Amino acid sequence: MAAPPTAGPAAAPQVPQKHRRTDRSSGRPRRRRGPRRLLSFWPQYVAVSPFFLLFLTFLFFPMIYSLYLAFQRWDGIGEMSYVGLEQFRFLLDDPTFWLALRNTLVIWVFSTFPMLFMALVLATMLNSTRRLTSFYRVAYFVPNVTSVVAVSIFFFSAFSDRYGVVNAVLQAVNVPSVPWLNNEWTIKAVIAMLMTWQWTGYNMVIYLAGLQAIPSDVYEAAKLDGAGPVRTFFSITVPMMRPIILFTVIISTVNGLQSFTEPQVLFGSNAANNPNSGGPGQAGLTTLLYFYHQAFDNNNFGYAAAIVWAFFLVILLFVAINWRLVQGRRKG
Amino acid sequence: MDVSRRRFVQTALLVAAGAGVTAACGGSDSSSGTKDGKDLTLWYWGGGLSDKVVADAKKQFTDVTLKSSIIGGTFKQKLLTTMNGRSFVPDITGIKGEDIASFLPNASRFIDLNTLGADKIASEYLDWKLKQGQTQDGKQIGFPIDIGPTAMYYREDMFAKAGLPTDPAKVAAEISTWEDYFAIGAEIQKAYPKAFLLNNMTAVFDMSLGQGGMRMIDENNKFIGDQDHVRKCWDLAVQLYESGADAKINDESLKAAVANGTVATQLGAAWMALDVKDMAPDTAGKWRVAPLPGGPSNMGGSFLALPKECRNPEVAFEIVKWLLSPENQGRGFQDAALFPSSPAAYKLPALTEGDPFFGGQKTIEVFGPAAEKVPAFYEAPANAAVAVPFYNELTSIESKGKKPDDAWKDAVEQAKQIGKQQGVS
Repeated sequence: MAAPPTAGPAAAPQVPQKHRRTDRSSGRPRRRRGPRRLLSFWPQYVAVSPFFLLFLTFLFFPMIYSLYLAFQRWDGIGEMSYVGLEQFRFLLDDPTFWLALRNTLVIWVFSTFPMLFMALVLATMLNSTRRLTSFYRVAYFVPNVTSVVAVSIFFFSAFSDRYGVVNAVLQAVNVPSVPWLNNEWTIKAVIAMLMTWQWTGYNMVIYLAGLQAIPSDVYEAAKLDGAGPVRTFFSITVPMMRPIILFTVIISTVNGLQSFTEPQVLFGSNAANNPNSGGPGQAGLTTLLYFYHQAFDNNNFGYAAAIVWAFFLVILLFVAINWRLVQGRRKG
Repeated sequence: MDVSRRRFVQTALLVAAGAGVTAACGGSDSSSGTKDGKDLTLWYWGGGLSDKVVADAKKQFTDVTLKSSIIGGTFKQKLLTTMNGRSFVPDITGIKGEDIASFLPNASRFIDLNTLGADKIASEYLDWKLKQGQTQDGKQIGFPIDIGPTAMYYREDMFAKAGLPTDPAKVAAEISTWEDYFAIGAEIQKAYPKAFLLNNMTAVFDMSLGQGGMRMIDENNKFIGDQDHVRKCWDLAVQLYESGADAKINDESLKAAVANGTVATQLGAAWMALDVKDMAPDTAGKWRVAPLPGGPSNMGGSFLALPKECRNPEVAFEIVKWLLSPENQGRGFQDAALFPSSPAAYKLPALTEGDPFFGGQKTIEVFGPAAEKVPAFYEAPANAAVAVPFYNELTSIESKGKKPDDAWKDAVEQAKQIGKQQGVS
């Protein structure tokens, strides 16, 4: 934890120094105010501009444009017509939107909490491992860099109702097979499992970094006092890690609410006449999948934009709740 | 520092000027220019046209350079984006059958092919298919590549063991209505307790809806999805479900079901032959094709269209005509299983050959007459979106055991709402 602050001050003075030198050579007054002072930094601005230009073109402009679209009716190539708040008004009465929102939240709960708990347990175990640590770290992180599409296809065949390996195993131990991809709850569970599989390693690595910052004498003291591993985990590790846990909760919330690829691949190709339906009973229809369906299957771009902006407000609400939790804990 | 600054400005100006020149070149290339361009681009998707026929077209038309691109992924989306940008728009493009209706409201962005002489060769092509590519005021936007006449695929060996007729002609005579069809479900399940008649309810709903001329929305943009012609098809689907002969398969496990004889029949278009062969190569010789119970319908089949930006409409339409001539459609059938939209092609050897996968049956004897008897239909731009709740509710019946009457009510209610959102009255 001590390393970054020392690097900061050491690097910082160099820039003004160099700048003062150029000022002297050109014989201009040292102190400047306002826009001229800004202009004199132009090489630095040029150097950072590629990111901002790309950001403006490919992220900021589309974002603002989608807000504009949310007040229009537009099929993608024809004339746009301004409809005011009509899209949002329709959104409120659209049962499919609320269903999609509910699906998204259920999948998020199913995935985030088991995932973070498992990640913390794994990180604790890995932190006390002496051998093959790099191997374990890499092994747990690999799912995160694997293609979601490939993994979704694998999950699809593994959980296939009649011929999947999961049901084959269940039947082998005399448990009746489960219609994984046909029941509204198991569909959500499969999507959540997929996300858990993919993101546990990522969170584990973050926890591991946090764990290594906990001084070992705290653990030694606990050991001397006779605390077992479970007691140590809940009384020392979890409280000491609280800020990091809250960080991962926020990151996982933003990621988890945006689930799209998983249901899209699992249920996207069912039929040409009903694409991206989210599977039987629309149980896997997440908000973003519904947005995609409206925009790119129905060419209903105005309505799709309204969906994502409404969803943006929901995510904002979640982030605000998280934020309050963080602030509240800090004060306490 | 100062020198490099000046040089930087110079370079920047040069780059900007260069970009301007390039843009100017681009401008002269596009629609504002003359209509006798020498470069033509053709967009289609993998399997959308026969690659061999396209390659021959490049040799055939020597006064222009034809460049073809196979566009992967979501074709409609890429075409829409490009047309919206109004640059690098293909001169000739494919449009999928399920997307054509959504392009028709923007007919002004395409060339009316009748102005190039499409109406003169229209008689060689199926009328109902041409109509699908037409606007309501008769502008021909899409020229048909292929069609999807439907039929019943059945396992001859399973029919034999169940004591049913096995010869396609006899099957056609004895299983001509939906009632006849549902009746054989019980016979098959008596002989094969673990087998089913059909994969799901959606197949029945889809096929029977296609047997009539009306869909979810009529020509006056009015919602008619709650009317008898839809309800009748819904009830047929429910009849399958309630007979217990519905396999309730709504996912990729269909592949295994077709391969291991879980389903005795499949209802689908001519191109489904390819799927069945692909899913169940070991069942070669055991399948046959018979007319669809209740009459023929159509499922899919794409179009070629010329966007307004086309740089040489005259030649481009000549190329379209050549690509889709009856002879080349015959080659398209052989090469890419594209069922010809021109009945003249049905007499070509490529189509009249017996198919060993179907025990040497000449499947054209089923598909040919079916193709010519498909009723003309009107598909509104919002039809696909409005139909979605019906499909969703049918799968809800199968996966959740939802009561069919409740499902119908919910489907109609949601369809109305989607229609309202899409401007349907």
